[in-house]
Amino acid sequence: MSEVPVFFLHGLAYAGLLFLVSAGLTLVFGMMNVLNFAHAAMYMLGAYFSFTLLRATGQFWLCLFVCPLLLFIIGALVERFLLRRVHAYGHLHELLLTFGLAYIITELVKLIWGNFPLAVNIGGFLGRTVEFFGMIYPIYRIFIFVCAVIVGLTMAAILYKTRLGIILRAAVNDSEMVNALGFNVPLVFTGVFAFGAALSGLAGVIAGPLLTTYPGMAHEILIDAFVVIVVGGFGSLGGAVVASLLIGELQSFGVLLFPKLSLALVYMLMAAVLIIKPSGLFGEKQ
Amino acid sequence: MTDYLQVQNIHKDFSGLKVLTGVDFAVREKQRHAVIGPNGAGKTTLFNIISGRFKASSGAILFKGQDISGTPTHVRNRQGVARSFQITNVFQELTVFENIRSGVRSRKGLRYNFFRKPDNDRRINERTEAIAEEVGLKGVMHVPVSALSYGQQRALEIAITLSTEPELILLDEPTAGMTREETAHAINMIDRVTAGRTLVIIEHDMDVVFSLADTISVLHYGKILVSDIPEKIRNDQRVKDAYLGEE
Amino acid sequence: MISQKKASYLFIALLFALGVLMPFVVKKYHLNMLTEIIIFALYAVSYNLLLGYAGLLSFGHAMFFGMGAFTVAVSLIHFPGLSMWNAVLLAIAMTTAVGFVTGGFLLRHKGAYFALLTLAFNSLFYAVATKWHKITGGDDGLSITRPDLHLGFTTIKMAGLTNFYYVTLLVIGAAIVFCWYFTKTAMGQTVLLMRENEERMKFLGYNTNISRLILFTFTGALAGLAGAFYTLHFQFVSQSAISVDMTTTVLLMTFVGGTGTFWGPILGAFVYIILQNYLSDITDRWPLFMGLIFVVMVLVIPGGLSQIILSIRNLASGKRNTGKPVAAEESSS
Repeated sequence: MSEVPVFFLHGLAYAGLLFLVSAGLTLVFGMMNVLNFAHAAMYMLGAYFSFTLLRATGQFWLCLFVCPLLLFIIGALVERFLLRRVHAYGHLHELLLTFGLAYIITELVKLIWGNFPLAVNIGGFLGRTVEFFGMIYPIYRIFIFVCAVIVGLTMAAILYKTRLGIILRAAVNDSEMVNALGFNVPLVFTGVFAFGAALSGLAGVIAGPLLTTYPGMAHEILIDAFVVIVVGGFGSLGGAVVASLLIGELQSFGVLLFPKLSLALVYMLMAAVLIIKPSGLFGEKQ
Repeated sequence: MTDYLQVQNIHKDFSGLKVLTGVDFAVREKQRHAVIGPNGAGKTTLFNIISGRFKASSGAILFKGQDISGTPTHVRNRQGVARSFQITNVFQELTVFENIRSGVRSRKGLRYNFFRKPDNDRRINERTEAIAEEVGLKGVMHVPVSALSYGQQRALEIAITLSTEPELILLDEPTAGMTREETAHAINMIDRVTAGRTLVIIEHDMDVVFSLADTISVLHYGKILVSDIPEKIRNDQRVKDAYLGEE
Repeated sequence: MISQKKASYLFIALLFALGVLMPFVVKKYHLNMLTEIIIFALYAVSYNLLLGYAGLLSFGHAMFFGMGAFTVAVSLIHFPGLSMWNAVLLAIAMTTAVGFVTGGFLLRHKGAYFALLTLAFNSLFYAVATKWHKITGGDDGLSITRPDLHLGFTTIKMAGLTNFYYVTLLVIGAAIVFCWYFTKTAMGQTVLLMRENEERMKFLGYNTNISRLILFTFTGALAGLAGAFYTLHFQFVSQSAISVDMTTTVLLMTFVGGTGTFWGPILGAFVYIILQNYLSDITDRWPLFMGLIFVVMVLVIPGGLSQIILSIRNLASGKRNTGKPVAAEESSS
């Protein structure tokens, strides 16, 4: 029974990671009605960029800032020059494009870094454990959760306390109206998309030392992230928080309590939500 | 004569916005009834409810004495109700012929058959051609919709509405956006194709209304202001104040 | 002058005749590839009935392909003496059932949501196939031997390639021809209505839920048939047959070939498999090459290779094409 707190904390750590990945995804989907399949690929790029940068400089803190920035730029370029071009052809084509990009990115990663797992060693303060309440717990996992909380609070602050936030929230609801009101919606879209990419990249940087860094990591987290936004509701940040916690803990305790079923638990949760409340816990009816 | 279509105390709320606040009227068989009213009065919403696109918040729709309030859209159509759309709502990439035929073959039950080809069904193809001719589109039957003029698209809109042999036809502003000449032409066509059937028509163009309608209902702020024959409506002061005065 | 219709039938007969001649003309290695191409052509054609004709983007088509593939393997292993036909029929029955059940669940949602769900379901099936070692062989996969064909008066040996090639040509070829015929039937045209204006359909008396379900189940069964022959061809199946990669493969084939015509996906399967065979000798990262072609097409030539070919032909004769498939006899192909 003393394992429970540990598993609970594990769940929190994974929830934090999930939130970082899903937050950008749900905003982009809610606002632009584009399901960005390349989102998880950007997560992977974050991890790989970090691996290389860490190898070169040994400074993890540098990676935390530089890699998301790189992904921000990449995201902006993708939205501005690729996604927007395809917009005229319809939603189907947007989906196909993001899917194709994800595919290419995965192949490029295999080409450049190789098709095998990489070891990411951070060492230093974050690599150690801390003792509290009779447990010995890795600091790194606490760090992940703290990061997620900081990012979440910052996003909440921007969305609910600033003028930009009002515009963003309005755009999630009705982007055409926002455009009609004179705001440069295309610029907003580019910004949100790029920000989502950066967030995903940050998640990748953080995930590297915890999960394995390998070309399949994108797909691994993609499904969970999808489930988060389905359960939480599209475009809802609060939904992403709640759903991430739910799924993080489910995954954590699932392995403990129902080892044979643990794989299916997440899918079952998604199925349940789809049957009972298809628009998600906090989602708006489409 | 029993009422063919009965609209009973229909209310419709959209998340707090009350669009229809108690609509009552009745239409007799083979009657031609117009619904007029200022923009935003709820006319299209009313059609949506009668045709089954939306469910009313409360109230009932009776068709041939049967309550169809909860019946799904496609079932209502099979029972004989068809409606046209104010903004042309057709099968864009298909030809005029294919557009009309999709309704004709549905009526004949040829919907999900894996083996029979509509091309091989003489009766279906003949009926399709006949409808195309009735609305004046025989010459462009094998042209895709995207290549039609606006007037032709509106004619197609009506043709598709007719294709399922409806007994009750709901036309939603069929002459919207048409020129004087096109409208006169359309009035003629509508008169011809709806002969012997029951018609409810939403219109803004008073010429169309007074040419075609046996009776008129005036919808104002979600309620029927008055229902009567055209002469009485023309001279009704309330109507003049509410609507005709705005023109 | 021969009518358009007669010309089409003549063309099909010609293709079959060519197909019959192949084993005498090409090397064993190429015959092997041709068999694979025919199988994947059916897989791609079935996928295009969803994507090009109905406008439904599914990321889960491998569920059915893999289901068919595994059903054949598992039934041949667990029921010794089972004939090839019965194994295939079993595969079709299984995939039809799965299609019906999952369809009832998935098809309530549209667009990106639907795509997302099919992806999740595909992943689930893959995970189950990987974990359920006892039945599916897990990472090791399942090996089978093609059973000989007993036709009452004679037995046709299936161990060799040529005989199995003929069976594939006949059965899968017939299935593909039926799909072509299907596009002209009532249901085939109803599928087009779904793509063009699903809302209006309802007002014309069509039950759109049933329409979607019928199509989904039908295309699933076709993919299952392709999957069944996949196992019979390679005499081996592993969880890769039911993976998201296998869905990716058919998506690429179909889209690159061109979703705007019936034969586009067939061309796509042909090109994909040929490229795969020759490029994989040169580089490990040939999927990158395919991915690049795909993205370029999405950006610039959304109608795929068939659009290019038709454009060249129309340039020569002065016509225009819309880029989406239509079933009418008047249109090309």
